Amino acid sequence: MLSMLQKPRQAAAQVLNFALILSSAFMMWKGLSVISDSPSPIVVVLSGSMEPAFQRGDLLFLWNRNLLQDTSVGEVVVYNVKDKDIPIVHRVVRKYGEGEDAKLLTKGDNNPSDDTELYARGQDYLVRKDIIGSVVGYIPFVGYVTILLSEHPWLKTVMLGVMGLFAILQRE
Amino acid sequence: MAEKITLYNLPDLKNAADDAIANYLNSIKFKQSHSMIDVRLALGYSSFILAAACALWDYKLGWDATKLYTAIAVAIYTVLSGALTVWTWKVEQGTIYQGKAPSGDDLFIASETKKMEPVYRLKIAIQDKSTGKIKAFKISKPFAEFFNESGFFVPKPFQEFLATNISVVGKADSKRIQAASEKLLNENPELLSAVLNAGSEKEAEATGTEKKAGGKRRKA
Repeated sequence: MLSMLQKPRQAAAQVLNFALILSSAFMMWKGLSVISDSPSPIVVVLSGSMEPAFQRGDLLFLWNRNLLQDTSVGEVVVYNVKDKDIPIVHRVVRKYGEGEDAKLLTKGDNNPSDDTELYARGQDYLVRKDIIGSVVGYIPFVGYVTILLSEHPWLKTVMLGVMGLFAILQRE
Repeated sequence: MAEKITLYNLPDLKNAADDAIANYLNSIKFKQSHSMIDVRLALGYSSFILAAACALWDYKLGWDATKLYTAIAVAIYTVLSGALTVWTWKVEQGTIYQGKAPSGDDLFIASETKKMEPVYRLKIAIQDKSTGKIKAFKISKPFAEFFNESGFFVPKPFQEFLATNISVVGKADSKRIQAASEKLLNENPELLSAVLNAGSEKEAEATGTEKKAGGKRRKA
């Protein structure tokens, strides 16, 4: 470790290796965001409200461009509700109107009633811009890693610390 | 300098030898240049700063307001990382020392090791100062010949290896050039024992002309 101080370039190069791993992962994520036009192109299912289609821990890929057709009834969409942080994955069950201003109603396949109770106070329907993407693909189960990480935040710290140590101590 | 190396760790051996090359050449008046690693650091850190800026404005202003800038940043980041990859693969190629010899010629040394094979391999390129022609060649030496069994680096055989094989180094440090005859003896144990059996001190003196410790080394 001490010898690193005498060779500032080598030390800088080692720190860089670690920094580039983080920044490349981040920029890949942002690249995916740009391509799919969604602020969050990959989400993890947190509840069982869409069973049997999706289970807790499934990883969903989203697409947020209406290139060929508008978002329509039957699509599974992910939407954000004002003042709530957690995006919700449910199916569009009704649609009134066309284009940007169409009114959409959603419902979880496994829920007894539609989502009006989940919407913000006074909100009875969604519009297109509430939606951050339609589900176009999924990988079952792998999302459990992030569920673990978010439910036990100390795991994140440990992981980052271990990765950082390895990157800095190992010269390869 | 007296750093103990784990002899089973190939990267450690390589790194110690890499460092020793720089120390040795700088000590015999080579002028080390850092331009290659500097370019790499510049490319790497500018792309990292770009990513950090992108993260910052995304965090402060949100996705929708910064969509366009994020798209541009992603494009530039891709170009920068591509340039960095090309630079390390095609230009640096594992270069661990670049510098100017006292004679004015440029010297580039790249090092590598192969998995499960404790041999230090060097790619040397010498650019003549007057003609500009590049002479490139490869040399190699087992690590066991310049690390002792407790894991300490032994400079002398290593420096002899460099001075004997790389002309510009030999020119700058001629006392480290291993006499051709001595090298021959070292590489052919039978010949060596034949010479030793002959037991003539004078002959040993004659072959190892300017090397005082020549006799000692042969026993090793």
